[in-house]
Amino acid sequence: MISLGRINYGDVTRVWLRNYDVYKRLWRTEMIAPLFEPVFTVIGFGWGVGSLVAGKVMGVPYLTFVGAGLLAFTALLRALFECTYGSYFRMVYQSTFDAVLCTPVEVESLALAEISWGATKALLDGIFVLAILWIFGAVLSPYGLLIPLVLSLGALWVAALSLLVTARIRDINYYNFYMAFVFSYLWISGAYFPLDKLPKIVQYLAWIVPVTGTIDISRKLMIGKIEWMMLFELLYLIIVFAVTAELALRNLRRRMVS
Amino acid sequence: MSAREKASGFAVEAKDLIKEYDDLIAVNRVSFTVRYGEAFGMLGPNGAGKSTIMRMIICRSPLTGGALDVVGLDVTSHPREIKESVGVVPQENNLDPDLTVRDNLLVYSRYFRIPRSVAEERADELIEFVDLGDKRDSRIETLSGGMKRRLMIARALINNPMILILDEPTTGLDPHVRLAIWDKLRQLRDQGLTILLSTHYMDEAEKLCDRLVIIDKGKILVSGTPRELIERYAMHFALEARGCNGSPLKSTLPQIIAERRGSTHFYFAPTAELLAPLMSEYEDYETYLRPSNLEDVFLRLTDQEGLA
Repeated sequence: MISLGRINYGDVTRVWLRNYDVYKRLWRTEMIAPLFEPVFTVIGFGWGVGSLVAGKVMGVPYLTFVGAGLLAFTALLRALFECTYGSYFRMVYQSTFDAVLCTPVEVESLALAEISWGATKALLDGIFVLAILWIFGAVLSPYGLLIPLVLSLGALWVAALSLLVTARIRDINYYNFYMAFVFSYLWISGAYFPLDKLPKIVQYLAWIVPVTGTIDISRKLMIGKIEWMMLFELLYLIIVFAVTAELALRNLRRRMVS
Repeated sequence: MSAREKASGFAVEAKDLIKEYDDLIAVNRVSFTVRYGEAFGMLGPNGAGKSTIMRMIICRSPLTGGALDVVGLDVTSHPREIKESVGVVPQENNLDPDLTVRDNLLVYSRYFRIPRSVAEERADELIEFVDLGDKRDSRIETLSGGMKRRLMIARALINNPMILILDEPTTGLDPHVRLAIWDKLRQLRDQGLTILLSTHYMDEAEKLCDRLVIIDKGKILVSGTPRELIERYAMHFALEARGCNGSPLKSTLPQIIAERRGSTHFYFAPTAELLAPLMSEYEDYETYLRPSNLEDVFLRLTDQEGLA
């Protein structure tokens, strides 16, 4: 049976609300602290690196180009941390998953709640960083308002993949491998410079990861350059998300119900 | 409430329950029944299989073999309905540390789809029941171990369960706290709630349970009321002589059972008078003449297992 079919969306909402209730209590540390860095990154890239990049990149100022990448990566990393360390903490150290599973809520709904919670935090970050970029004049098109939506979809995938890793690891230190992969990928994701500067083979590798598409769509929305290609990127993202989520749900069930 | 209507017969009915892991048989053909309204205990050493059976009952561990019905429903096909009708206090406290006492109950009530106003009323009642009235709005971090344990019990009752399941309810708590928790559990039992608990404390089992099973190495060794088991396996009285390194057991009357465990000699008899003469033979040792208890039963049974 497909695990995605066992989801009860009411239960997903109820577990999501639990995370939201805790977030509301801790909002100072949860919300403000992690947003400090993006502000300074935008300042650094805009005034610092931006001043060194004399010409335009892909026809737009460097801050607009790199801003889209930073925006996407900030949001996606939030989903990543929420569903790695955050979920691991709730699963192992706080045994929150055990508590939830003693109620009518089943593993699949719990898993999707964790994934959507990761995406929710990414959405909040996305909105905030977008506002910063807008203040700095980096958002060139009203289509830019759609970016947080695209980012939350990308974040769903990142969250699902992270929860899959979380369901599989037996020791928190194994995240080091996952993080090494993610932060290496960052350099070929198209976040900091155009992908076509890289060898073809690396480009193909980069496009396999749907984050590359998410960054590309975000950037094009920011510039206001709407293309059919974006639809395919979106479709690919959705398909990969569905497969990854299914795997995450299965693996979490195997871990929690044994 | 459909689960409640369907419920008939036994609160829990296990038939030839088997749980195998890769290279280990954790539960080996275990059969038992828990009746509605009784306090039923699973007693056994650590690693005996108690927690695995508990996990099977709360639908967290699929059966390798056998059949298991909880509140009249099959655990494999009706986990959701079963979990709606039971309250669970696991071995480890797993409260939400960032939320207050009251919010812990309210957040939990949501998983059972209890309407907010009903949940608030119920949460306040339960907070009073477990004597945490002045801690209502405190964060979990500020609670003592005993308070956390009481709150765990309150949380397990939020859905008005038909069975309260407790895995080692008082392990690691000080004697005063244990007494307080036993008192609460007795109150619940007297109100007619079915209680299923696992423990490795003999006194806990003896004080709380109407009936119990002793489990070791994945099997049920014996079952009965605490009194029955004591009479059957440890008679009525025990004489214990400590520090008898190397010295042999004394010869006794045939109706007395004599055993050695480590450096202690044990004698069991139906009356204290039968044991009294033996005391004079142990003048230089520390001796105790006392009513026999579940611990005697337990040690005798699990030792025999080891020798077999």
